[in-house]
Amino acid sequence: MELLHIIPQFLISGLTFGAIYSLVALGFVTIARASQIINFAQGEFVMLGGMVTFFFIKNVHLPYLLSAFLAIGVVICLGFLLHLLVIYPLRKASLPILLLATLGASLFLSSSSALFFGTLPKALPPFSGKDLLEIGGVSLSAQSLFVLIATFFVLFLLYILSHYTHLGKAMEASSTDPLGADLCGISRHLMTFLAFGVCSGIGALAGIFITPLFYVSYHSGTLIGLKGFISAVIGGWGKYGGAILGGFILGVAESLSIAFIPAGYKDGVAFLILLLILYFRPKGILGSPFMDSRRW
Amino acid sequence: MVERIHQDFRKREILYSLALWLLSLILPDPQLHYRREYRLRWRDLFYLLAILLLPLLFSDPHFHHLMVLAGIHGILALGLTLFLGYAGQISLGHAAFFGIGTYTTAILTTRHGWPPFLAFWASGMVASIFAYLIGKPLLKLKGYFLALATLGFGEIFLVLIKESASLTGGVIGIFGIPWFRIGGFVFDTYLKQYYLVWIVLVGLVLFTKNLIRSKVGRAYMAVATSEDAASSVGIHVSRIKLEAFMVGAFYAGLAGSLFACVMSTATPETFSLNLSVLIVMMVILGGMGNLYGPILGAIFLTWLIDTLAQYQDYSLPLYGVILILLLIFFPDGMGTRLRVRLIYLISYWGRKKRREKVNL
Repeated sequence: MELLHIIPQFLISGLTFGAIYSLVALGFVTIARASQIINFAQGEFVMLGGMVTFFFIKNVHLPYLLSAFLAIGVVICLGFLLHLLVIYPLRKASLPILLLATLGASLFLSSSSALFFGTLPKALPPFSGKDLLEIGGVSLSAQSLFVLIATFFVLFLLYILSHYTHLGKAMEASSTDPLGADLCGISRHLMTFLAFGVCSGIGALAGIFITPLFYVSYHSGTLIGLKGFISAVIGGWGKYGGAILGGFILGVAESLSIAFIPAGYKDGVAFLILLLILYFRPKGILGSPFMDSRRW
Repeated sequence: MVERIHQDFRKREILYSLALWLLSLILPDPQLHYRREYRLRWRDLFYLLAILLLPLLFSDPHFHHLMVLAGIHGILALGLTLFLGYAGQISLGHAAFFGIGTYTTAILTTRHGWPPFLAFWASGMVASIFAYLIGKPLLKLKGYFLALATLGFGEIFLVLIKESASLTGGVIGIFGIPWFRIGGFVFDTYLKQYYLVWIVLVGLVLFTKNLIRSKVGRAYMAVATSEDAASSVGIHVSRIKLEAFMVGAFYAGLAGSLFACVMSTATPETFSLNLSVLIVMMVILGGMGNLYGPILGAIFLTWLIDTLAQYQDYSLPLYGVILILLLIFFPDGMGTRLRVRLIYLISYWGRKKRREKVNL
């Protein structure tokens, strides 16, 4: 009996988690659509988004909105730097080397943020006060609604970018057919560069949205990044819709798992779902043409 | 006049090649599998003597302990180089097999009173069995997705170890694992442990060398080059990959057992993603498809981490930066790239000297 009352609450919190995972997954998909690289430092951008905003509010005493925008700017610059200093010199390197380089970058970012901002976990005040909305006996913080709306807004923007602008089409071309893109006069490296900017911006946005909900500390980025990547794989690699779907599935499954098994196993659930999906349907739920390319 | 210059240059060339020959005694051979000479050579005897004499020359206990760790890392890297370097597949979950080995030894020796020597072989077997169960479904994946899936396995392993407290002691871990013991001989000092670890490593290197020379080893390289071509000449690709994975896991299990006996504790934090990244890094630094390279990489990285530890808070950022720089400047192994650079430099130097003389 007790369980039935709790489950809607878990569903709501799962949707919030899912929205965050979707936001992170959108970042992964943006890069994958432009260059077929996987950036394992994406989770650190999420963490840095929250951390830098916190820094601007508490230490520099700037207003909330301004510091949020400044943080997004700073993280976008970091994304550009990551491309210039790590990805671009390794543009001809093989896959394990790129993989390790992004993992090394993620290690560097997380540990140096521990140096700059301290190792204590941080939380921002919510945008909308602390009041809870009551909908049918289920309490819901306004912050969660903000996160949901923001996720779909970002999805909408990315959709516009990739389907209705020349820039988005050029990005996609440089990933699907590098030689063809070169022959059309598209600079592949510029496209990857811009994709890194977009991806780190989305990551920072996700970070600003989650810091009021959870405590963010220097080492929480890695796990969020991995889960975002997992949701991108679950939904269908290289698809914006797939990233959103996978994020929500992962978030809801994780929250519901707390109701049935001990909470310590929560992180294992995500990876278990990943292993099942990779075994039975490696294309992901929506399936995508990106999987059929010879790179995979 | 011109002839004299040429003669001069030839003499110098001989000198350069002498220097190169001396260097080639020390540097690992980057292209071992292209050569005919798989048999033991003078070079191997040189390595063996160096290994045997090194701890006697430097009698610092800290150095001995460091070399014990380097040897354990070397066994791990040797296992992964079969899978990553020779068979060309990526695994980011190798630390999990190391952990399985450690915990098997820890549980068998402390709870069931097995002698460490038996637990040593048992942990290798258990790691190998786990590799079979995991590899059977996962090894059909390729590239990034294989990396992610093995990473997922590593994370699940960590979660399971932390949660099943009754079996593994949870977050606290298992303490009081006995020293390694054969008959009545107890390996209780760093010096004895050094010889234990490095003799195991030498044995495994000999085994790996023969494995690479055999039909199976050639099949690994064929799979790494092209799976389609390999299957067209009758190589069972998925089985070969699984075998490479299992042998790698077996080595990792042995390394884990040695680690448990040396450290006498087993805690889950040791087997995180960072260790997997470190092992892959050793293989990449040593050069893909190279036997001695990963061991050199293991020694180098163990030394690097120990040296960086004195900078305390700055050690991890520095480590990340050095990792990226090493990847950028030595993408195909330190031995390989260093030798190419040296040859280039020396020949450039010779050419420059000659050009200057002719211009005069």
